Amino acid sequence: MTADRSKGAVAPPARKRAPAKDPAPVEAPLDQPIPARPAPRPKDAPRTMKDLRLVRRGKRAARAKPVENVLREGLRLERVPDPSILVLFGGTGDLAHRKVVPALYQLWRTNLLPHEFVLLAIGRRAYDDEAFRAEVRASIDQFSRVLPIDEDAWRSFSERICYQNLDFADAAGFDGLVERLDALDAEHGTRGNRLFYLATQPSQFAEIVGHLGRVALDHETHDGGWRRVVIEKPFGHDSDSARRLNREIGRVFRESQVYRIDHYLGKETVRNLLVFRFGNGIFEPLWNRRYVDHVQITVAESIGIESRGAFYEETGASRDVLQNHLLQLVSLIAMEPPARFEADALRDEKVKVLRAISSAPADLAGSVVRGQYGPGWVAATQVPGFRQEPDVDHDSETETFVAARLMIDDWRWSGVPFYVRTGKRLPKRATEIAIQYREVPHRLFKDEGVEPDANLLAIRIQPDEGIMLRFGAKVPGLGLDVRSVTMDFTYGSAFSVDSPDAYETLILDALQGDASLFTRADEVEEAWSIVDPIIDAWAEAPEPDFPNYDAGSWGPAAADDLLAREGRRWRRI
Amino acid sequence: MIETPLKIGEPVLRWTARAHSIAEIETELARIWSTPDLTSQVDGEPGRHIAARTSVMNLVVVARRPEIAERCAATIQSLTGRHPSRTIVIQSADPDGPSWLDARIEAHCILPRENAPETCAETIHLACGGESGRHLAAIATPLIVHDLPVTVWWPGEPPFTTRAAQDLLAGADRLVVDGSTWTGDGLTRLCDMAGLLETTSLAISDFALVRQSRWREAIASTFDDPDFMPFLRSIRRIAVTYGTHDEGASSGSTNLVKPIYHVGWLASRLGLSVVKPLAPAALHGRGAAGSRTGGAAGSRAVRPPGSRPAAGRGLAATLSDGRADIAVVIRPIVSPMPSGTTLRVELLAERRGSELRADVTAEAETVHMRVWQDGVEVLDRIFRAARRTDTDLLAEAIESGQRDPVAIGSLRSAAALACGGAA
Repeated sequence: MTADRSKGAVAPPARKRAPAKDPAPVEAPLDQPIPARPAPRPKDAPRTMKDLRLVRRGKRAARAKPVENVLREGLRLERVPDPSILVLFGGTGDLAHRKVVPALYQLWRTNLLPHEFVLLAIGRRAYDDEAFRAEVRASIDQFSRVLPIDEDAWRSFSERICYQNLDFADAAGFDGLVERLDALDAEHGTRGNRLFYLATQPSQFAEIVGHLGRVALDHETHDGGWRRVVIEKPFGHDSDSARRLNREIGRVFRESQVYRIDHYLGKETVRNLLVFRFGNGIFEPLWNRRYVDHVQITVAESIGIESRGAFYEETGASRDVLQNHLLQLVSLIAMEPPARFEADALRDEKVKVLRAISSAPADLAGSVVRGQYGPGWVAATQVPGFRQEPDVDHDSETETFVAARLMIDDWRWSGVPFYVRTGKRLPKRATEIAIQYREVPHRLFKDEGVEPDANLLAIRIQPDEGIMLRFGAKVPGLGLDVRSVTMDFTYGSAFSVDSPDAYETLILDALQGDASLFTRADEVEEAWSIVDPIIDAWAEAPEPDFPNYDAGSWGPAAADDLLAREGRRWRRI
Repeated sequence: MIETPLKIGEPVLRWTARAHSIAEIETELARIWSTPDLTSQVDGEPGRHIAARTSVMNLVVVARRPEIAERCAATIQSLTGRHPSRTIVIQSADPDGPSWLDARIEAHCILPRENAPETCAETIHLACGGESGRHLAAIATPLIVHDLPVTVWWPGEPPFTTRAAQDLLAGADRLVVDGSTWTGDGLTRLCDMAGLLETTSLAISDFALVRQSRWREAIASTFDDPDFMPFLRSIRRIAVTYGTHDEGASSGSTNLVKPIYHVGWLASRLGLSVVKPLAPAALHGRGAAGSRTGGAAGSRAVRPPGSRPAAGRGLAATLSDGRADIAVVIRPIVSPMPSGTTLRVELLAERRGSELRADVTAEAETVHMRVWQDGVEVLDRIFRAARRTDTDLLAEAIESGQRDPVAIGSLRSAAALACGGAA
């Protein structure tokens, strides 16, 4: 079944890169970046030194300072989002019912949404408001993370749920949407603030955004309300399609209005990465090539593809996880401290990491491994191989596993390999980042029975979110035996407050206009420029000998060889 | 050694011993963790080794009565999994008798999840009598785990001005109290506690203030609205109505800590200074806040069921934002609710000829917010926010970082209102 494991590893051609960033008109060709539309300058802002001096001396009226709600200090939120309508395209779809609506209900239940809030679900099915509310209730009963349902909260939340039947291809339907939104504004006092959430097939993003632009629903100033659009991954299928999508969206919305969701960034432990790195003085000095031997990032899933065979056949592990989740984790681990804790400052640093990832190492065959699971046993259950899954080609060449050795060519990380892996039908569900420190420079205790392992810092994203530090300790006794011990911090044990679901965090951030945890267009494009050459190389390579790992194992042997060649091994998770 | 099967998340008693001196206690504590074959049985099979002691802090509880000590211990045990601590519960008795000390040392363990080692923490129940019971610091200090933060939880009536209390608090990082349980109006003790802010680096968590966070969330949310936010700097009257069981509302009959914290919080956040501290209001219902706030903000006054105006006049004070005075009234209503419970907070703001009134009330599970602008109701919002238990409040206090500027500001302003002086 797994005859030639090394066939999964092939040499992709050189990585494609976007050309230098110069301002370009909207009609610019695909290989140029999206033109930025600067925010308008306030009319009453001082323009010259004289203006400024007169303002300072009180001889000319200064702009009114933005007023802050000082009563918010010390409370859970800096502020509750503005009154708004969340327009949920794909409102009858799986994502909406499993994630988005339960997250909204939870935000509502905990008073984190404004009173003047409306959820307007858009879908093709012929529901009225009441029928859709009944569907939503069933989903919340099934998927809410807090049960039983708070009936009072549900009652008031359901009053704010509306449904609009709309075919996304129907231009006239969007004119009707404008009227409906205006009516809801008048009825609920939502003030023209709208968050358009595209929980649809990616192929429909551009069409929907185009219609929104045509009916001026992107326009932020005509009635004073803000307009934002949330887009779910995947952001394109490759570099070209990502750029095309960014361009289509950029024709309508400014980049500051666009919120690309990678739900991994909303997970509590991922957010804690920033606090851990930049809020603690003791780790950052050790966070570089001088002390770190290598980094391992694992995103392991025990489930298969479930009912998404057709989707996964087109996607594979590289597009589904490597291009987004894994590279986001790499960039968060490797980024330099931003100057400020602001969305663009953070994203600037993340983009620098992606740009610094070696575009074409000499031996890419030895740097990337792909695999596909065959039948096996997972969690005491016999499971079929990928090719036996519904809607999957019996000779499928889609990878369900990918491991890669990435090198970041910058001052901090030069020479430090980042090993990343992700796969379906692995023995357990686990996401972890491990910072493996170097050995001590001089082995003082080398004559003793057990040499301690080098220090290791493991950051568990899921499950059992927490942080573990491994170090050596003397075994009690007359001898001088040294053994590795761990200090373990577990989120669930240390804090009594439940962590919010990633979607709750991200939807609330989008409603508040905080884009820190969302992916910017150039990040998406840079990430594709890392993954594209790998996929291109696979397309050029001979047919892979799939399946090459059993369901319930840790992937193909070639993935182990990836590290073994350098005297390393994957962490046992 | 006590062998009891563990259920995930439920603490069980694993070890108990007795001692009659600090030295004996230290010996017993060492013995707990050095017993080589300390195992538990799960489904009748031995072998799960108890994990090494885990402590993230020292928690010293000063309980004057046995029932308070037991209640506190139960609350702390429920937090074992979240905040494993060395807990020292000190209960002193018979201060004029001979000195004695009796200690019960316990180790409670919890299984945080399947296939994980147990997490264990020690509790030392100390009863002491005579002179030794007066020297709390001398009892607690030798038993504290080095280098871990020390929280002193002092239910009941902490004697802040005594040497014993000051010595104990000098070695602490955080003080946890519940000002709403203090006898009388509680204001003298509140001012004494505020004095600690000036003489120590203590962080203070008062359950009376923490409990009110749901009120604060509701009030703050009003001014999230861009139309109402400009009124925030133009508040002219603050009225707090509280429940009392004393029909005459005589001075000192009802604890006023909670009502005064509301005003203290607003004053500190808005940078208001105290012009006139609280004093009995001149006329019932027409105090410094005047009849305007007494009129339930733009609508007919609605009293909670079963309540009626108390005969007492309430208290009035004057704050200033540097441009204008802000009238404050704190007034009683006879109510079946626990004495000193806040029943209503009303704000009146005036700006450029327009008037904004906000009226907040709370029940067990909800907070109700209503706002009128120029007599027209513009907001009617109900927040779901349940009252919190002592366990919730203790967990929040423990999880708080260093000094919380909002808590400090609220306490300072409340003390300035109650006792005069700068906020």
